[in-house]
Amino acid sequence: MNAPNADPVQLEIFKHLFAAIAEEMGVVLRKASFSPNIKERRDFSCALFDAGGQMVAQAAHIPVHLGSMPLSVAAAVQAFPDLGPGDMVALNDPFRGGTHLPDITLVSPVFIPEPPPRLCGYVANRAHHADVGGMSPGSMPIARQVFQEGLIIPPVRLLRAGEVDQGLLDLILANVRTPQERLGDLWAQIAANRRGEERLLALAARYGDQTVGQYMQALLAYTERMTRGMLAGLPAGQYRFQDFLDDDGVSDAPVPIQVCLTIQGEQAVVDFTGTAPQQKGGVNAVYAITLSAVYYVLRCLLGLDVPNNAGCLAPIQVIAPPGSLVNALPPAAVAGGNVETSQRIVDVLLGALAQAGAGRVPAASQGTMNNLTIGGYDPQRGGAFAYYETIGGGMGARPTADGPSALHSHMTNTLNTPVEALEYAYPLRVLCYQVRRGSGGRGRYRGGDGIRRDLQTLVEAEVTLLSERRKLAPYGLDGGEPGQPGQNLLLRDGQEQPLPGKGSFELQAGDILSIRTPGGGGLGEPVESSKPDSSGAAA
Amino acid sequence: MPMHPSTFIGIDIGGTFTDFVVYRPSDGALRTFKLLSTPHDPAEAVLRGLERIAAEGWGPIERITHGSTVATNALLERKGARTALVTTRGFADVLQIGRQNRPELYDFSADPPPPLAPAELRFEVDERVSAGGQVLQALAPAQVDALLAELRRQGVESVAVCLLFSFLHPEHERSIAEKLRAAGLLVSASCEILPEYREYERSSTTAVNAYVSPVLERYLARLAEALQAPQGQGQAGPLLRVMQSNGGVIGVEEARRNGVRCILSGPAGGVVGAQYLAGLALAEGDRPLEQGPNLITFDMGGTSTDVSLVAGQAQVTGEAQVGGCPIRIPLLDIHTIGAGGGSIARLDPGGALRVGPHSAGADPGPACYGRGELPTVTDANLALGRLAAEYFLGGEMPLHPQRAFQALERLGQPLGLPAFQAALGVVAVANAHMERALRLISVERGHDPRGFTLLSFGGAGGLHAAELARRLGIPAVLVPPLASTLSAFGMLAAEVVKDYTQTVMLPGDTPQAEIAARLEPLVQRAAAELRAEGIPGEQVRLEPALDMRYRGQSYELSVPFGPGLLEDFHQAHERAYGYTRRGVPASDLEIVNLRLRASGSLPRPALTRQPQAGRDPRAALLEHRPVVLPCGESARLPFYRGEALQPGNRLDGPAMLVRADTSVWIGPGDRARVDAYGNLLIEVAR
Repeated sequence: MNAPNADPVQLEIFKHLFAAIAEEMGVVLRKASFSPNIKERRDFSCALFDAGGQMVAQAAHIPVHLGSMPLSVAAAVQAFPDLGPGDMVALNDPFRGGTHLPDITLVSPVFIPEPPPRLCGYVANRAHHADVGGMSPGSMPIARQVFQEGLIIPPVRLLRAGEVDQGLLDLILANVRTPQERLGDLWAQIAANRRGEERLLALAARYGDQTVGQYMQALLAYTERMTRGMLAGLPAGQYRFQDFLDDDGVSDAPVPIQVCLTIQGEQAVVDFTGTAPQQKGGVNAVYAITLSAVYYVLRCLLGLDVPNNAGCLAPIQVIAPPGSLVNALPPAAVAGGNVETSQRIVDVLLGALAQAGAGRVPAASQGTMNNLTIGGYDPQRGGAFAYYETIGGGMGARPTADGPSALHSHMTNTLNTPVEALEYAYPLRVLCYQVRRGSGGRGRYRGGDGIRRDLQTLVEAEVTLLSERRKLAPYGLDGGEPGQPGQNLLLRDGQEQPLPGKGSFELQAGDILSIRTPGGGGLGEPVESSKPDSSGAAA
Repeated sequence: MPMHPSTFIGIDIGGTFTDFVVYRPSDGALRTFKLLSTPHDPAEAVLRGLERIAAEGWGPIERITHGSTVATNALLERKGARTALVTTRGFADVLQIGRQNRPELYDFSADPPPPLAPAELRFEVDERVSAGGQVLQALAPAQVDALLAELRRQGVESVAVCLLFSFLHPEHERSIAEKLRAAGLLVSASCEILPEYREYERSSTTAVNAYVSPVLERYLARLAEALQAPQGQGQAGPLLRVMQSNGGVIGVEEARRNGVRCILSGPAGGVVGAQYLAGLALAEGDRPLEQGPNLITFDMGGTSTDVSLVAGQAQVTGEAQVGGCPIRIPLLDIHTIGAGGGSIARLDPGGALRVGPHSAGADPGPACYGRGELPTVTDANLALGRLAAEYFLGGEMPLHPQRAFQALERLGQPLGLPAFQAALGVVAVANAHMERALRLISVERGHDPRGFTLLSFGGAGGLHAAELARRLGIPAVLVPPLASTLSAFGMLAAEVVKDYTQTVMLPGDTPQAEIAARLEPLVQRAAAELRAEGIPGEQVRLEPALDMRYRGQSYELSVPFGPGLLEDFHQAHERAYGYTRRGVPASDLEIVNLRLRASGSLPRPALTRQPQAGRDPRAALLEHRPVVLPCGESARLPFYRGEALQPGNRLDGPAMLVRADTSVWIGPGDRARVDAYGNLLIEVAR
């Protein structure tokens, strides 16, 4: 990377200016959106890019979007080399800039308006929509092909010179279960990009677009220097680790993910050769996901206060064999790659780093997002509904402390839907929401405990579960015990029956779904008289 | 106003100093002073100050209003009461799980804050209310008896009760609260503290109240007792009032039960004081402002900076978080950043000049205080000649310019920069932090800074205010004479304010009469409670508002209750988010919460206008000294003593003004004048 001579003061100032743009876009999107998924759970990201499409700043929202947003910009530009002022590209195609179908990304070029218009950069935001059609409500099915998972939107010009392409919008809305909500969310996404564009233009007007462009480059170089410095501090060598997905939701066989991490001076090679081929079920991760997972782990090692930008990946070579689980090709089904496989990729990366004796990585966390989708028809409110939620669990024990309980870990940080908001909006009732005590692995430091959430449907409904670590437990480190695997149960007429980790099921009115999420792994040999959990267990 | 001469006192207890403002309406006498705070027993400094006031012969004290960090510190330091939480069966852990998100995305070592009620003190009862407000399972009274026994056995001091959907059906919470209160327990019921939906935020707010109220109660009881004693002779002591975070005051009885409302009262006092002073200063002649002033307040201290926006009225938010606990009651929207005069500058490994988040604090303090070695913002200002060492804090605190200079030299060395260049860089980065905070509360919330005045208070702000105003396009800066005791002054200027809220979930086409009927219970309660505060019914000002959204959204915008309601909402939405859905039927809008703000005025300090002296400020001129200008050139600038300036004096920048409590930079091209109240008004050059 070609680093211009950056003034240390201006560097710091632009760091704030760029980050503020991405954050402000996030505020607009969160507050103006319609689906609980975006406004309550904050399942979205906003980012700013340079004129070459390199990510300069991303607001700290969802890690799984980190490495993948730049590929969206690249796909948009490739599809429309003639993008002009006021244009906005929408896409969700996992094989052309997307990750899985519910994540719809809007990309806007930002042009300095004075003639002739000059490209100054891009802004983009991605939001997880609660439904994009396909074979089951919520569009997170256990499918065999991506075509079953929902409407595929290749890069399309949703806005041309500021005007919405109504035909295109109608096409999208006709293919989803809750079109009004989608429309509201899309407007919020458009508003967020417009705000980002406005702010970047204001910056260019104040400092000159050349200076702005120059400091975009300087900040990329800055993060790269920080990353190189961090890598140089790790012991050089080759470290291997392997872990498994429970299954792909179609067959029962565990699916291996393997990594060989080579650290050499200021550089690293992350090689996933040996990982299983892409699967029939929807657990396949496109390359963007794998890149995001690598990015996330590096970012954690870097520490706080380093801008989230492309410079972080510059010293890293990622080898992900095409056609494998971690670089799936069409027409693989991919709904779970984003939310489940991404977590296991992090697990293998951290496992390898633990071998490197980095001495700072935790044992395995819950390793799943426990995706739960319930949909059907709500006679009382008179319309279709699609409810999507992910559930936190235990975090792995850390080298000097217990793992925290009942939180989202690694690749996601979405909020829960408040019980009072959920019951107001959907024909569902929450019966309990509690810490699943004792589920964290024992060790010198204990893994965090998972969560138990019981939901009753008040109407007939279809539920889809996409969860992991139901069979194979989150690993402990240095003699620490693994965390307890999760459990999915159905309570019908007083009878309890286990449900698999992945699958779609018909529910009758009154059925209760009990989701118990995994605990984190322990770290270090358990001490004999295991101390009581500090978060306590009062019977 | 009472007929006999009486005195009002405003007190702000801060971490370092306890500030006093004494005011006597009969002759307009006003005095301020500071004492060192006594964190082990905050009442001690207060009583010492009151003794001093008594010794000075101010006469009988009618009213003492104070803001205190007692509740805040109890929360931040987790030194509150032993608190239990009572919830619906199945939901005792809501307080621990929160929103299930972790505090830092990229930091394995970050832990969520521990819940205020530990697991062994969280209890569940069998009861359930639906989202429609119907009772699905009634509360069996017998369980409350068992609960009471257990609470006693556990030695619980304070109890928070938060049941699902209690804002729709408060009876279950009330019956628990009644029984526990009858047994002598202090109970915070969520239907009383915050009858709004979202169980975690409501539990958290209620738990904070339960956790801090007993601490506040002990403190207030100690103070009240001490105040009664010397007056004796059967005479009632002064009326004690407490500042709330919403910018209004409440009586002690209220404060004891509603400790959560007094969190962040100090900063709120500053905003209220700023608003009051600016209202006078910016008025055209004798005509008071019709709308209230448009202000951005800027309080830059040693370790942090508070900013807020007043658009006619101070802005209120319901989204505060203190010590990791969401607090959803209305608070003045004050944004705090961890950068101030004591923030430490360093060069990071990536080659960026960073300022903060670490602060040198009071110990060791900036390098120029004589103990620390690391360069801070204060050191940078000193090295640039913008702080005059011998006048700092009225000359009571000697500074060491050489140490500041050396620290900055070390900072600049790896970059090949001389000390003064490094110092300019430190100031520029510090200003970037401040600017981001100021933009956040103005531009990002739809306010154009060009229509505002920047009001600077706090010790460190005066050196930065003019440059920040220039960067934001703010046309004027106002520095009041009470720059370091403005919060305490604000306590005297505050009104009695009480906020009420109720979640209703009504469709947008609900007839106005029905909305009014739903508001009526809040109005009744407000009238009764303000009467208890000594505000007669006809003087109570009521401001009803509705939190609205398009059906399906989950963040609401507040609009005043009135005939133009729906259009007002569309417009507010357009302003906030850049689009509306004006075409949708009214039934597709949703009225989520009713809000009512009830207020009543108290006599305020009537500041008197001083006669104008001439324009010539030379009587206050101390000397000419070398100062580094923002462009990097050095010039000999006039230094004026602020206390010696007269109303009507004019100063043309570049110039420096030094006062015991702050220093003010007047930039090149800026023109400043002293107004009739002693405020310095700087017209900022573009």
